[in-house]
Amino acid sequence: MGRHFGDLAKIRHIVTYSLSPFEQRAFTNFFSKGIPNVWRRFSGSFFKVAPLLTYLIYTWGNSVHEQSMRKNPADYANDE
Amino acid sequence: MANLRKTHPLIKIANDSLIDLPTPSNISAWWNFGSLLGLCLISQIITGLFLAMHYTSDISTAFSSVVHICRDVNYGWLIRNIHANGASFFFICIYLHVGRGLYYGSYLYKETWNLGVILLLLLMMTAFVGYVLPWGQMSFWGATVITNLLSAIPYIGNNLVQWIWGDFSVNNATLTRFFAFHFLLPFIILATTMIHLIFLHETGSNNPTGITTDSDKITFHPYFSYKDLLGFAILIMLLVSLSLFAPNLLGDPENFTPANPLVTPPHIKPEWYFLFAYAILRSIPNKLGGVIALFASILVLFCVPLLHTSKQRSLTFRPLGQVLFWLLVGDIITLTWIGGMPVEHPYIIIGQIASLIYFMILLIFMPALNLYENKIWW
Repeated sequence: MGRHFGDLAKIRHIVTYSLSPFEQRAFTNFFSKGIPNVWRRFSGSFFKVAPLLTYLIYTWGNSVHEQSMRKNPADYANDE
Repeated sequence: MANLRKTHPLIKIANDSLIDLPTPSNISAWWNFGSLLGLCLISQIITGLFLAMHYTSDISTAFSSVVHICRDVNYGWLIRNIHANGASFFFICIYLHVGRGLYYGSYLYKETWNLGVILLLLLMMTAFVGYVLPWGQMSFWGATVITNLLSAIPYIGNNLVQWIWGDFSVNNATLTRFFAFHFLLPFIILATTMIHLIFLHETGSNNPTGITTDSDKITFHPYFSYKDLLGFAILIMLLVSLSLFAPNLLGDPENFTPANPLVTPPHIKPEWYFLFAYAILRSIPNKLGGVIALFASILVLFCVPLLHTSKQRSLTFRPLGQVLFWLLVGDIITLTWIGGMPVEHPYIIIGQIASLIYFMILLIFMPALNLYENKIWW
């Protein structure tokens, strides 16, 4: 049942290289490139993901509803 | 030890799904929600079991038995709050889980997907009957509104509703059987979840690229066992925070009043997780039409794999599809908002348009846009 290692794909001639952990620099350019990259990724998807249209409909709908619940001030002009 | 793990008929099952399971190395945090749903189910079953030890399902004592649980039973208040808010987290996780499946094309594992939709339906049924149990005003009137929907079914409708009630209104027989169903259904969910997992493990997990990663698989343990544990910690933290700091935030104040068939609350509305479907139901003036639309809003998920027209599986490399996906998310948020609003202008028309857009995106726009994107990028 299910799938198992050694039985997934035919893999040949794969050579892997890796850097010794003693030579790795985990935080290279962390601030200088990291922060602009966060901004790049954020601005690249914000307008796609954020429900801006929903927000506009929400504020519009609520304001129209509030307006429709108001009494007509002219009806009470002569009330004293 | 290694041998026993791989050869023992029972331990082998755990090994093949939790330890030696080949898993894509690139799955993101969106793949955490499956295990989180498992956690939700287990915690709901355990807290529910303890609640069932003190709850009575007779209409004369149901409400006060819940008060008794909260006031007199040791940590009953905590167990009750975790169970009630746990339901909300269950739905948060399942909606995000479905959203993940839609975005990355996981629905192409058809058996797994269809079982998942059945699980969603079972969860909704369980949550609905569970909400009736405290026998507050919203419990009673929610049950009355929703069970009455079935009366719209031609010819057999009225008989069907009375059969479900076991009476001529929502009453003692109804509450007792709803308790029975609320106890039974989670175990059916548990069994269905097992089958959901068996089918998932036949293919292995999808991944964000939507491309087969058979040559780049890693073991589930330790990589994803620990990642799932991190997810567990975050979910438990959020659930406990909500249950302790704002346990009634998502509830309806009306449910602090015992059920009274002679007093109809001014605004009957379901819990937040049903509001989108409630908005779709109310946006159609005809009763039967509304009921059909309500069921269609979930059943439409069965059609999603059949309407996959893209050459690619995932939306990761399809920017236009992404825009449409997030429009759908925004539309569902709009429906959720409208479901909680009174039936007045302009909420009526917003709900009707949002309902239409919901079905249009899933049934027409998405397949059409996929065909278009097939052409423009390749």
